Amino acid sequence: MKKSIKLGSVAIAAAAALALTSCGFSGGSGSSDASSGSSTLNLLVPSYSDNTQKLWNDVIAGFEEANPDIKVNLEVQSWDNLESVIATKVSGNQAPDIYNGGPFVGFAADDLLYKSSEVTSPDTLSDFQESFLENETYEGDAYALPWIASARALFVNNDLLKQAGVDEAPKNWDELLDTATKVSKLGGGVAGYGMPLGSEEAQAEAAIWLWGGGGSFGDAEKITVDTPENLVGAEQIKKMIDAGATQADPGSTQRSPLMEIFVQGKIGMQVGLPPTVGQIAENNPDLDYSITPIPTKDGSAMTVGVADQLMAFKNDGSKQEAITKFFDYVFAADTYVPWVSAEGFLPTTKSGAEALADDEALKPFLDVLPDAQFFPSTNPNWSATDSAFKALFGQLQKKSAADVLTEIQTQADEG
Amino acid sequence: MTLTTDSSPASGGAANGRSARGGGETHTPISRKNSGGRDLLQALPWIGPALILIFGVVFFPAGLMFFNSTRDISQSGIDKGSVGFDNYATVFGFAEFWPILLRTIIWVIVVVTFTVALSLVVAQVLNKAFPGRKLVRLAVIVPWAASVVMTTMVFYYGLEPYFGIINKFLVDVGLIDTPEGFGWTRNADTAFAWSMAIAVFVSLPFTTYTILAGLQAIPGDTLEAARVDGAGPAHTYFAVVLPQLRSALAVAILINIINVFNSLPILRIMTGSIPGYSADTIMTMIFKYMQDQHKVDVASALSVIGFLIVMVIVAIYVKAVKPMKEV
Repeated sequence: MKKSIKLGSVAIAAAAALALTSCGFSGGSGSSDASSGSSTLNLLVPSYSDNTQKLWNDVIAGFEEANPDIKVNLEVQSWDNLESVIATKVSGNQAPDIYNGGPFVGFAADDLLYKSSEVTSPDTLSDFQESFLENETYEGDAYALPWIASARALFVNNDLLKQAGVDEAPKNWDELLDTATKVSKLGGGVAGYGMPLGSEEAQAEAAIWLWGGGGSFGDAEKITVDTPENLVGAEQIKKMIDAGATQADPGSTQRSPLMEIFVQGKIGMQVGLPPTVGQIAENNPDLDYSITPIPTKDGSAMTVGVADQLMAFKNDGSKQEAITKFFDYVFAADTYVPWVSAEGFLPTTKSGAEALADDEALKPFLDVLPDAQFFPSTNPNWSATDSAFKALFGQLQKKSAADVLTEIQTQADEG
Repeated sequence: MTLTTDSSPASGGAANGRSARGGGETHTPISRKNSGGRDLLQALPWIGPALILIFGVVFFPAGLMFFNSTRDISQSGIDKGSVGFDNYATVFGFAEFWPILLRTIIWVIVVVTFTVALSLVVAQVLNKAFPGRKLVRLAVIVPWAASVVMTTMVFYYGLEPYFGIINKFLVDVGLIDTPEGFGWTRNADTAFAWSMAIAVFVSLPFTTYTILAGLQAIPGDTLEAARVDGAGPAHTYFAVVLPQLRSALAVAILINIINVFNSLPILRIMTGSIPGYSADTIMTMIFKYMQDQHKVDVASALSVIGFLIVMVIVAIYVKAVKPMKEV
């Protein structure tokens, strides 16, 4: 008796295990119901802040009210997990219908995405800023829609600079090195310049220095990391570290926690994003700070622009119409502007830019946007380059600048 | 990574099933003539579900992992056809592979050695009768009850340069003179050393309890006999107690080797922000291939290599130490 119960439970467990394993290989579940004309859109988005889920829920509620025959399923993931979640879903034939993420070229190259013109009305498409839409082009066609944009600027702690005897924020590298060294000398755990070269966003800090010295990461055809122009910026980073102008161990410092230290008033200068303004207002409203353009080698204007995308997966091809309705709804100024301003980013549409033109907090960033350079994200090897920067660039702290750039170039070329 | 961990319960089960199989063998010689096919057929309904289970959770995933390791899988996860053993060539051609392998072996040896040595001491203490023993035994389980990620996070934040409580303590007592503390988790060597300490800490409960169970199975009269024969405490321990712990120790060491080799979360959290590959083990490298570089194919190849390494280590251990031999 006892034995048969044991075997019975083993059999059930075995059956369950098989059922579970087979689930993973069963392919996409056909959630669209063609006969009744109603469909369900699966939406996978990253979390930009604690508000993201609520903001999307509001958008979806409004959309479902206007389109009662379409249902939208929302899935929110952290940025850390997002790329592995989408990779798992795609390889299991479970791709979402709409995905909000970074690099899209890999998907476009595998012919998984709708062209932007196939899933938006001409009115919506013509409302995007041309430079942003250009950045979504792969082999002549746009495959993604620029969702939100951000630009970077230097956040300066006015109190610390004053204590160090500096009156004006630095404009070029020499002034930056000088000011940061002076602030670091104040002691008490204060750092002059916050330099996050850790894996979180090393590619951005790298761009700030390498592009600021006249370099670039290449274009849609070729990735160029290991160049003499880029070496100038990398050497300057080493100079900053060696002079003690940065916090300790910049090579393995992550950006977000370091920004918190800036917010707490322990760092003289650090490059930040539009949402940093909200972060300071929330956590340390008394901080006396100003936002200035990023110092470059010769003081010329430069900033790193980034746009995150919305893209539509083809899947079984039955939801094109529903996706078009959704995109048109989302990018209408009434829906879009409240979303973007609540998250503290910059709009990518002309109508959005008009609506937010006199927003005080965004002004310093809108000012630098014309000088923005972008990552070569339409290059199929950009994704590999991006991860190579994240994994390797921090070695600058210990290795020679030339070696680090060569290593990154090698990994980028391997793809 | 998950594929290899899936297999560990099965190898544990095989170790436990040893005596049952031995008992069955004594019955077979009686009906040897018409045995073979018919016997197997009759047994199938009884062993079938177990076979299906073993196939489903051990061989199928392992086979799939091997299959993936010979494919070219695109960044977005699309299978682009076979590439033979190119992915293995990529792994072996990677300049950091041998240092990473060496580090993995050091990681396993140090963590398992310290865990077992400490567990022997702790189990000996818990085996003595003293007031409040139940509470102390309960306390030993706590690190096991908490998730490894949680435990590691506590250490990670404790070691944060600017606000970590461990760093603050070290600064306050004057061991560190920089006011923002030391970047323990920012440098490969110190982060790796701390990871080892945490790995020992979270492995202790299981090991201690396995050894404690072994200690309690030692009959009281053998110890009494040793005492009557005039053996001192040290001699009793090494000549009487330790040999009888053999099978408990064997289980503890084997499971620990597999577990520690396959351990990802501790190193991932403690060394995750360190650039380059100077603090990676095979497991974190698999993770980097998969998560950062989106090379599922190469990650699979490295997984297969890791899987084989564990098998070899276990085989050498079983062959050399003969842990299953009765005393």
